[in-house]
Formats: sequence, C-alpha cells, structure tokens
Amino acid sequence: MPAYRPGFALPLDELREEIDRLWSSLVTAPPLHGWGTRSEESVFPAVNLRETDDGFSIEAELPGLGVADVDISVSGDCLVLKGARRSADEAAEGATPSGGGNADGSQSAAKVVWLLRERGTGAFERRITLPVPVDSQRVDASLIDGVLTVVLPKLAACQPRKVPVRGA
Amino acid sequence: MVTRTTAASSATEPQPGLTYRPHVDVSDRGTEVVLVADMPGATADTIDVTFEDGVLAIHAAVAPRATSGRAIQQEYGIGNYRRTLRLGEGFDGARIAADYRRGVLTIRVPRLAAVLPRKVEVRAG
Repeated sequence: MPAYRPGFALPLDELREEIDRLWSSLVTAPPLHGWGTRSEESVFPAVNLRETDDGFSIEAELPGLGVADVDISVSGDCLVLKGARRSADEAAEGATPSGGGNADGSQSAAKVVWLLRERGTGAFERRITLPVPVDSQRVDASLIDGVLTVVLPKLAACQPRKVPVRGA
Repeated sequence: MVTRTTAASSATEPQPGLTYRPHVDVSDRGTEVVLVADMPGATADTIDVTFEDGVLAIHAAVAPRATSGRAIQQEYGIGNYRRTLRLGEGFDGARIAADYRRGVLTIRVPRLAAVLPRKVEVRAG
C-alpha cells in the first residue's frame, strides 16, 4: 500500500467514493441520470422539468446519442421522447480508429475482454404529460454534449394574463 | 483529493457540490484498455484524466445549468463526475488518449510494448 499523497488517486479512494455514494443516497440527493442497468419497467429517460410563465423546459441526459438517434413529438399537452442507444460492442467498434465492421470481419480482430459493463443500451420511449397544452409549432430542441433540452412554449390561451383591477 | 458529496438540503433544485460516479464500460483489447464513461453535460476542458501508480482517475467539473423558472419535476441530479479505476502495471501513461464527444468520454490506455506478447520468428538455418 503506497503512502498517502494528496492529489493522487489511491485504492482507498474507490472505497471512499462508495461510502460517499451511499451517504448521498441516504440524504435526499437526487440520483444520477438513469443510464445504468435499468429494469424493464423503469421510467426512462429521467427528466427534469421546469416551468416559467411562458412555457416549460425539459432536460434529459442522453450521452452518446446523436441528433438522428432521438425522436421528439409534441401534441397538445403530451410530449413523447423516443430514441435508442447502440450496444457497447457496436459503439466500441465505431470508435475504433481502424474502422467498423464486425469483430470477425475487420482487420482488428483482437479479442475484446469486457472488464466492466455498466452503461445501459437499447431503445426507450417516454410519454410526458405537461400541466397545460403547449404550442407544438414553436417547440425547440437541442442536444449538446449528451444533454437534451426541449423548450415548449405554452399556448397563448394558457399563459397567465395580468388582470387590471378597476377602482370604483 | 477526495471530493466530498455534500448533503442536499432540497430535492427540488439542483444541488451545488454533488459528485456522481459515472457509469463506465471497460474493455481489454490486448494492446490497450479502453474506458468509456457517460459524462453528459461536461466539457472537454473541464475533464481531468490522470494516470498514476496504475490508477486511472477521471474528474469533471460540471457547471450548474443555467435554468429559469421553477422546477416542477426533478428526477435526476447534476453534479461533478469522479471515478478511479485500478488498471495495474504495464501501461504507458505517456500515450493515454482521451476523447470527449456527445457527452461520452473515451480513454485509451496503451500497454507498454515491453509487456506485449511478441511473436519471435524462427529462422531456418
């Protein structure tokens, strides 16, 4: 066991991280986005929804997905997020500089041994009901560094209107 | 240094100072070990990758999102990322390559040539 030197990672750090993680799960810290191993019935992807006077914004973490991998549709007060992430094998093949193709067909036929596989894959579909209908024509979505942001303006009829009060 | 996860005081607003352990895939490809980590919302210049004594450490400082309005549904948290992995000896720390794209960090840690199996040709006499 090497002596403790501040600034460097140590095996004990891993234990410390586990303890930190356990501790933060005991207090009310929100969980990490759900891209781990997930059960069939879990609601996915996790979203953070905010409301302003003009509309709503929804954020979801979609690491590794491109614009073409996400499908968003809006109708009335319903937003549907659809998409898929490729399996780790496909993604790893795509990331290999020597080129794609299957392991048995490509020139880099080195045997791959998985040491850890925690990143979830597969297709998802989530239907989110908003408190009030939104203007589907003006919905804007962006996917930057794996973060999907959808901005949904409320219909004019649903926006708060300040009502002046007349005096006597 | 160990980044401490601070106790959250409210479940409805993003907490400053949270640190998460990113999900990773790690594969051994013979000549190198490849680590892929989901770290959405980070930026390439705030990601710190170090390799020391056979331990690969990843840290990313994630700035709080610019948010307006009020949170009405908060299903996940946003915070820094930190993870360490013990790879062991025989790796070439000087040739580690890291790439951040679409919220995914990919790190390639090559093995030292000296530890790779080498096929020795037998000459005919």
